[in-house]
Amino acid sequence: MRIRNALVMVLLLGLAGGTAAKETTAVFKTAEAKHFTGAEGVELTPAFYDYFYAELRSELTKSKLVREVIGEGEAVDDADAEKSVVITGTVTEYKKGSAVKSALIGFGAGLRSLKMDADVIRRSDQQNLSIFHVHVKVDPRWNEKTMAKFAAQQIAKDMKKEFAEKK
Amino acid sequence: MRITGKLAGNFVLATALFAFHSKAVADEPKPKPENIISVHLTEPVAPQKFERVPKFWITDISDRSGNPQPMLVLKSRGGIFLDRQPTVIVRETLEESLKSGNLLAADSNSADLVIRLYLFHFGLAEGSGLDFFGKVEYSAIVKNPKTGETAEVKATGTFIAKGAARKKNVQKNVQEDLEESLKDATRNFLRGQQLKEAVALLWKGGDAAQSPDAKP
Repeated sequence: MRIRNALVMVLLLGLAGGTAAKETTAVFKTAEAKHFTGAEGVELTPAFYDYFYAELRSELTKSKLVREVIGEGEAVDDADAEKSVVITGTVTEYKKGSAVKSALIGFGAGLRSLKMDADVIRRSDQQNLSIFHVHVKVDPRWNEKTMAKFAAQQIAKDMKKEFAEKK
Repeated sequence: MRITGKLAGNFVLATALFAFHSKAVADEPKPKPENIISVHLTEPVAPQKFERVPKFWITDISDRSGNPQPMLVLKSRGGIFLDRQPTVIVRETLEESLKSGNLLAADSNSADLVIRLYLFHFGLAEGSGLDFFGKVEYSAIVKNPKTGETAEVKATGTFIAKGAARKKNVQKNVQEDLEESLKDATRNFLRGQQLKEAVALLWKGGDAAQSPDAKP
């Protein structure tokens, strides 16, 4: 009986340990997301970049990878600079897509597509820690802001994968 | 006979226009106690630490949003209104936050730096349709009243709150969205690098910076 109880306890502890290991602890003290810029020829409204900025900050907060997500241009204590990052990026390509193609052909034809590069830079020495290439495809009838949401989610997910693993 | 026909035609047209207009007016949301929200921060935002601590005073806030109904936050679902003008809300928030950091002057005469604020956006902006995208954006002209020198400081605050189906939840989420956006903008202003640089440029420490020879 005692042995069985001990085994159950060990099993439960093991499960609890597994769950705890899955939880992400903050890797960075602060992260500053900057407004992304559009490369030449990219026709996206300024509202898209505003929304993407807000969405990226929201996703970074949700990811718990960062203790504090600060706004653009906010001052950071020198002591925290080494453990702080700045996220900048550029939208390299945007295709509006075609609702007609999407409806008639299907199989991914006519989808709205967005490509962007995001750089994660350490604040203290401006060293580039990582570059993420994001490619999002959505239905052409969907709002462009939905695309921003997916792109922000992808960046946060990639960052979590990259930095939580490195840690 | 022809004149009577024309008159009758005009009368029918006028009646139709009047009916259409009254319907449009009836659809226009009106502020009622149940659709008014009060936006204020639960706790003030702590400002950054300055090397030489100046005292600020907010002289004026101008609404430059171009919004004819600044208190109407959401038009659909019977409308959601603010209880005060956005300029008043922003002023209160900034004053409370400055006061919490002991940076608020007693009056404009005793202030080391005065702030004139231009509010460009306060409320909801166009989102994905699945959520509420709140945005507060303003620009401040920080001025040293003694020297007349000025510097511009911009601040933006954004927040994305969950969408909702029930009217009660819509109101709750919009309120949360605006409060968080306002908090973010206040934080962006008070802890921003731009304000730090503006203070360093405009405020040299007042009397301490003056040379002792200047005094009799």
